[in-house]
Amino acid sequence: MTTLRTTDTGDVVVEELLPAEVLPEHLASGAAARRAAIRQAAGRTLGRRRTATRASHVLCALSVGICLVPLVALLAYTTARGIHAINLGFFVHDPTPPGIPGGGIRNAIAGSVLIVGLGALMAIPIGIVAALFLLERRGRVATIVRFGADVLTGVPSIAMGIFAYALLVEPLGHFSALAGCFALAVLMLPIVIRASESAMASVPVDLREAALALGARRSRVARSVVLRGAMAGLVTGSLLAIARAVGETAPLLFTTSSDLFNLSPLQPTGSLPLTIYANGTQAFPEAQQIAWGTAFTLLVLVLLLSIAARIVAGRLARGSR
Amino acid sequence: MKVFDQGGEAVAAPALLEEVPPEHRVPVAGVREAIARHRARRGGGTYTALRWLGASVFVAVLLALVVTLVSGSSEAFRHSGLSFLWSGTWDDNRKVYGAGIFVVGTLVTTFVALLLAVPIGVGSAAYLSEMAPCRLAQPLSVLIDLIAAVPSIVVGLWGLLVLVPLFEHHVEPWLSRLPLLGHLVFAGAPLGSSLLLASVVLAVMILPTVVALSRTALSGVPVADREAARALGATRWQVTSRAVVPSARSGIEAAVTLAMGRALGETIAVAMVVGNRVAMPHGLSTTLLAPGATLGSAIITTFGEATPGLQRSAVIAVVVYLLAISVAVNAAGQILLRRRQRQRSARVAA
Repeated sequence: MTTLRTTDTGDVVVEELLPAEVLPEHLASGAAARRAAIRQAAGRTLGRRRTATRASHVLCALSVGICLVPLVALLAYTTARGIHAINLGFFVHDPTPPGIPGGGIRNAIAGSVLIVGLGALMAIPIGIVAALFLLERRGRVATIVRFGADVLTGVPSIAMGIFAYALLVEPLGHFSALAGCFALAVLMLPIVIRASESAMASVPVDLREAALALGARRSRVARSVVLRGAMAGLVTGSLLAIARAVGETAPLLFTTSSDLFNLSPLQPTGSLPLTIYANGTQAFPEAQQIAWGTAFTLLVLVLLLSIAARIVAGRLARGSR
Repeated sequence: MKVFDQGGEAVAAPALLEEVPPEHRVPVAGVREAIARHRARRGGGTYTALRWLGASVFVAVLLALVVTLVSGSSEAFRHSGLSFLWSGTWDDNRKVYGAGIFVVGTLVTTFVALLLAVPIGVGSAAYLSEMAPCRLAQPLSVLIDLIAAVPSIVVGLWGLLVLVPLFEHHVEPWLSRLPLLGHLVFAGAPLGSSLLLASVVLAVMILPTVVALSRTALSGVPVADREAARALGATRWQVTSRAVVPSARSGIEAAVTLAMGRALGETIAVAMVVGNRVAMPHGLSTTLLAPGATLGSAIITTFGEATPGLQRSAVIAVVVYLLAISVAVNAAGQILLRRRQRQRSARVAA
């Protein structure tokens, strides 16, 4: 008697529960024929199944390889070119006029910190408060806010730049850090809202109800239960929003561009992405060198922010358990 | 008895009081007043005002964005009419504005980028989630998640300074020598900057997004589903293709939609490698090796020099056009996702 069994590796094995020898002769011959037929059929599908598994394995592994080649090449090339361009003076000097060697990106670093910092100060509190609104209200307004956040996440960042241009550059008559950070704030707002809302929703409703049952006001519940419980998610979401905003070029292109060192929000200000764009599109090797150095700086900054976000999320998730 | 609704509002206590017939009410001094005071304290106050403020600021910003851009573009739409949407001529001197070329450029680059990135991305995600040994899969997944955060300007710089020479001297000459394809899709002189290179740069940009989100979707499929399929005799590939991928399909579709939105709306990296040819000399050409422009790159290259008035309004009209396309794609993705979720929960309930 024979049975079919599938092994761990997906192979079909024909197993014999009784040795053919113990069967009576008239049965044994039939059994042998049946066994041969089963073996043949199983062998056919086995071959197909085995080939499909192997082929899929090879193809998928290959696609990982194809996927990693450009990504790793991009990182490696930027790092190799960028490290050459970087020394201490690179971070503490302002850019020099074309042709004079030894310029730095102090203005761009200060400008990026100013623009992104102010933008985050606008976007994060409003975003968290709007997420609290979503948490405690079901209704038409909440639907509008939620839908708006979904829509705004998909809006191309250049639209925020043109919006800030029409709203703040045209009336003021010149570019300013304020216009840039407003554009970035609009960009960050939906990211913060969505991340905060999902973080707050993960705080158990029981905890909130328990606090209310103890007589706590809703503001108190929000502060001590919701915000505290969702802290990991809030910090992670904010860090990711900042990491996204630091690297954005399109919203700043028509709002902030300047080569000068400046810390006043109402004046035009340089930034890391714009420095890369302005220098990278020039044909001079010195300018391209500066672009690579700035690109490497920006890359490290963004990766550090993303890693920090991961670490915070991981640590606080462990802590709350 | 449910005392609190999900928002934490006390709903049952006053209602109960109303349900008691008047003749049975025990005269308790001040209970109604106390409840009224309590509700007033909970419903009003600075906290509620603050929450409403946050929500209304957000809605106001959203409305202002739409109103500003639409009103800024109205002059161009009045001037060119609806033919702005498909007419292929953009000429400042003759004051003829049509975004047709940019739309075609956007659709072509996005389509080719998805064609390149989606199979590779989903295949990688399947390998990392289903096939790779854990020791390999974990570091690779973290690496790809991190690469997803690389700013587009860095990708653009790499495309401009590394890929343009590479494509000009090696890739594009080779492609144009291909039989058949060389005459249809890859015809023309190799210039480096082209719609093809823009598509490749976009594909590199969206690859990590596709991999990271698809992998999350695949890993989210319950282990029990896999075990059930294995118990029925499925091979590893059959488990992946017939059990895991179908139930992660909504997540993979969402990943592709998100990547598509990113590719449609990308401006700076595309502007650096696409060649920025605003005017087409002989109408539309079918070759991917030709320089071109997308909606995003056209905004960047034309807004700086646009004089206030009709010219600037035309650029803002391109922004509105791009906005409308992106929002439509995203909304379609959201609707698709919601419908699938509903279907699945209905199936689970049944």
